[in-house]
Amino acid sequence: MNLGKVFSEVYPMLLDGLLITVEVTVLSLLMALVLGLCSSLMGISKVAPLRWISKAYIWIIRGTPLMVQVFYIYFALPQLLQLAGFDVRFSSFTAGVITLTLNAGAYMSEIFRGAIAAVNTGQMEAARSLGLSNGRAMRKVILPQAFRICLPSLVNQFIITLKDSSIISVIGLADIMYEAKIYVGRTMEAFASYTWTAVFYLVVITILTMVARRVERRINI
Amino acid sequence: MIEKDMNPKIEVKNLHKYFDHLEVLKGIDLKISKGEVVCVIGPSGSGKSTFLRCINRLEEPTAGEILVNGEPITGKNADINKIRRHIGMVFQQFNLFPHLNVMKNIMMAPVELKIKTKEEAEKKALELLERVGLSEKAEVMPRQLSGGQQQRVAIARALAMEPDIMLFDEPTSALDPEMVGEVLAVMKELAKMGMTMIVVTHEMGFARDVADRVIFMDGGVVVEQGPPSEIFTNPKNQRTIEFLNKIL
Repeated sequence: MNLGKVFSEVYPMLLDGLLITVEVTVLSLLMALVLGLCSSLMGISKVAPLRWISKAYIWIIRGTPLMVQVFYIYFALPQLLQLAGFDVRFSSFTAGVITLTLNAGAYMSEIFRGAIAAVNTGQMEAARSLGLSNGRAMRKVILPQAFRICLPSLVNQFIITLKDSSIISVIGLADIMYEAKIYVGRTMEAFASYTWTAVFYLVVITILTMVARRVERRINI
Repeated sequence: MIEKDMNPKIEVKNLHKYFDHLEVLKGIDLKISKGEVVCVIGPSGSGKSTFLRCINRLEEPTAGEILVNGEPITGKNADINKIRRHIGMVFQQFNLFPHLNVMKNIMMAPVELKIKTKEEAEKKALELLERVGLSEKAEVMPRQLSGGQQQRVAIARALAMEPDIMLFDEPTSALDPEMVGEVLAVMKELAKMGMTMIVVTHEMGFARDVADRVIFMDGGVVVEQGPPSEIFTNPKNQRTIEFLNKIL
């Protein structure tokens, strides 16, 4: 139960783990932003099959637990690909990034869709009446406004994904959670180790929230 | 005289518009000459805004034909984005782009569509701002402007594309009474300079002073039309008389 003593031992391990956690999360979020934007635009497209793809994607991701998704990408997908004649294996890092990207992308797609719908229809009409095409009006008029609207929800999703990344430790990715479990397995110092793990997450998320507040305030002026 | 124009700027033939099963426009036929100022009046729900919005296809006509400068704007071969470049539109709710300052609101379309270079667009924007009396507001964001100022910027934004037709959809209806005058003054200037204008409005004073022709719509049809002197002082149709009695 010695928090101080455990900290000095566990600190370097958790820091290594934190680095992995941040890497996986940042990489996934960047790709999820692109994926989510594409999916949301497909979701409001005039082309019906594009809408169906977007809907099916969101339906599957929202309807299955992240744990199942990780196992599916890490274990099930390679087996399927091998049957098809491709010998593909993902590292736990790659599988983690793919899973979190797909997962966060679906939620971001819904966030973007809502924000685009929240922009006044008069904005699209004004842009179109000036001769801008639908795509150009989207890029120049609708999306910049939608982005401001959805920033708080987007930050919320960042936080969720950062925390969800702890689940990736089940396939052996050496993130904070994984390092903590290893240490506890070796020393039985569950209370101290997991307390410090929680504190690490709290610190990172608090910093992220503070940065987000700043950005929000600046954008709203 | 107007009706016999052989090369009308805008020609509307048997225009019908349905919203689902509701017929909002029931066959409109109209010719508008170059430089003509037409005011469309009528009770709410009469289809006047829908009619206006069909002219740049913000509403898709269900049937009928619309020719602008002799070219059909409906149909598969019509490039609506090109056509809209020379039809300016001003909305009841202004619809300025809130994330762009006044200058950028005005410059955006000509620069994006590569009609003007940035420098040319800037020069034009300043010129237009002076014309609408807002030179000192160039760098301000839209939400810092009053309604009347916003609407004048919206007019400048439409004019930046150098349209030869301007559509106004109840441009003063969302304004506080003391701001109506400044917007109407800008529109009056525009009319004097020979712009072809269609104005859906409840401002009977403006219609009387500025319009070459007043069109009274009710129930999706043009009930009566003529010079303002005639419509306002000597309306023929019973529905026109009733409407004018109610609002004047």
